[in-house]
Amino acid sequence: MATQPQPVPALSFPRPIFAALSPHPFLAAHLASDKAIRANGRKPQEFRTPGINTGSLTHCNGSAVVRLGNTAVVCGIRAEILRAEDIANPIVTGVRREDEDGEEDDREEIEGLRLLVPNIELATGSAPSHLPGSPPSTTAQTLVTRIRSLLISAHLLRADDLRITYAPPVPEDLDTPDVEQEEEIKGYWVLYIDTMFLSLDGAAFDAAWCALLAALRDTLIPHAYYDSDLETILCSDDPSQARKLKLRGLPVPSTFAVFESTEGDKEGDSEREKAWVLSDPDAFEEGVCKETVTVVVDGSGGTKGQSEENVRKIEKSGGGVIGRENMKGLIKRGVERWGVWERVLNDK
Amino acid sequence: MNTDRRRINAPSGGTTPPIFARTVKVPGYLESLRPSRTRGPNELRKIFLQTGIIPSASGSAYLEVPLPRTSNSSSLIPPRSSLKITCSIQGPKPLPRSAPFSPSLLLTTAVKFAPFASRNRRGYIRDSIERDLGVHLETALRGVLIGERWPKSGVEVIVTVVEGDEDGWWGDSTPGIGGGITGSGMGAGWGLLNILAGCITVSSAAIADAGIDCVDLVSGGVAAIVRNPDTKKKEGEKGDFVRMLDPCPAEHQDIVAACVVGYLAGRDEVTEIWLKGNVGAIPDELIDGATQAAVGSLSVLKEVVMEAVEAKFQGQVIQEKEGLKRKHPQQDAEMVG
Repeated sequence: MATQPQPVPALSFPRPIFAALSPHPFLAAHLASDKAIRANGRKPQEFRTPGINTGSLTHCNGSAVVRLGNTAVVCGIRAEILRAEDIANPIVTGVRREDEDGEEDDREEIEGLRLLVPNIELATGSAPSHLPGSPPSTTAQTLVTRIRSLLISAHLLRADDLRITYAPPVPEDLDTPDVEQEEEIKGYWVLYIDTMFLSLDGAAFDAAWCALLAALRDTLIPHAYYDSDLETILCSDDPSQARKLKLRGLPVPSTFAVFESTEGDKEGDSEREKAWVLSDPDAFEEGVCKETVTVVVDGSGGTKGQSEENVRKIEKSGGGVIGRENMKGLIKRGVERWGVWERVLNDK
Repeated sequence: MNTDRRRINAPSGGTTPPIFARTVKVPGYLESLRPSRTRGPNELRKIFLQTGIIPSASGSAYLEVPLPRTSNSSSLIPPRSSLKITCSIQGPKPLPRSAPFSPSLLLTTAVKFAPFASRNRRGYIRDSIERDLGVHLETALRGVLIGERWPKSGVEVIVTVVEGDEDGWWGDSTPGIGGGITGSGMGAGWGLLNILAGCITVSSAAIADAGIDCVDLVSGGVAAIVRNPDTKKKEGEKGDFVRMLDPCPAEHQDIVAACVVGYLAGRDEVTEIWLKGNVGAIPDELIDGATQAAVGSLSVLKEVVMEAVEAKFQGQVIQEKEGLKRKHPQQDAEMVG
């Protein structure tokens, strides 16, 4: 963008054409101007305001629609029953292992039995680059793998919420009074977490994860029990008996993109490298940025009254601009962002 | 199905949807959940339609037939389904160099159900039902577009069914319970007709949003012939039949025939007919009913398209960023050097 009057009127283009023809100088001109505003009108550190709507899908136990600017995601969670007989390699049989904090170590159980089945569909016409009729693109596969690994490593769900147990009635046999009544696991709830992108405009991971999180918080699991007469697992359709999932923490990701521009200095050979860290990049910015960082922060830890921020995950790829110092700044920005999401998630 | 290595798969043992105890154990409970039609035979369901929901697509629209507000706090089982469809138009864009010459616009349609679209979870790979719907939709739209204005180009109409109408009431398909009632609805695909009508209407709105030249706005409508439930009991008699516009299959136990049309009201032309069931010798009444329903959805469609056009042009004048498609003020940038 011309900041000083040019002696010779140069070629003049409407903005969209300029952006399409030379995206890199277009964004560089915006950021280098006095106002330092991105092409989409946001400041470099500015995130988009999220919007959440939950419980809109009829056939799901929990669902959420998340809007992040022009990115819109719908996530539906459906619970189905995995019977104990159908498990090929049982991992635990009725034994509960607890560590010192009274917290179960159930990661192996959830991961090994594949109780969480997240999937993401991008090919819904959400963006011109993702068209239906072909297998999931590399982007879609990468995205779902990242989501799944965060879901498991963040230790978000409790296996206890997903178990369906049965305590057989104590036989009225007086010979064995000491036998402790032991609960056996008759099955598990399997959560199918399907996320569809209605519209994609950058920050796919943030939007997909937050939709998943909002949907999980909305999920109602019916009360399930083993019926010894019918020898099957039955559920109660009474909403007052159904329960919500007890999630551990509230990890929230923030994505940043690093935009680099090289300006040849007029005086001579020294090239000035300038870099901007853009919060919550949109599709256009993602197209011109090589380096991206995703910081997952959870501020819900700690005792009541004082929050304690924990970094749950950092992903960084491409480029070498973000160093140790910059990363601290990004984590701070991530913590602020966590506060925004937390408010939106609790308000609904 | 379980060997899709590009997606995350379910446990290999397979999972079953939950069975609710009261539907099995309490006699008559299942029947008490059966929804019934509260509208008149010629009354249509309300439609919500919006265009321009996907800014990166050249045109897009969202259609919803919301559930009637009921206070069903006593059960977790949803009595019926709503209809939620999005449509995105990609193009018109030039065909790849390898494609043979085409003098007019090549239309491709894709219909896909979301995994949570129906009571039973659906897979990600497109099945025959979805292909079938895609072909029907293509037929309905082909005659509407003025394809000669885009030689050597193609356009893709991508429809995602986020939630679809069911083929019948779910309780009728549950075997061995509730006294063994079997509705004629299940498996006959009555719900598909409603979905197709929705697809036609939403695609039409999206095409208008994309600014592709059409001869007219096409809209979809469904009518059905239903056996009157009050006289159903008398076996042997023919029973009297009622024509219903915009039937919700879950509300009717005995649908005899149904028909969906893609209708151009301005020219009184039909681009698509899909008729199912035993209609008798004269299907005219049924088709008339379907066109009436199509005219009903057209009134909504017209209004929405008009509003969208007005908003678009206002946005251009005010040069604000409230117009979703135009984030940038319309000032020219100079390219130096």
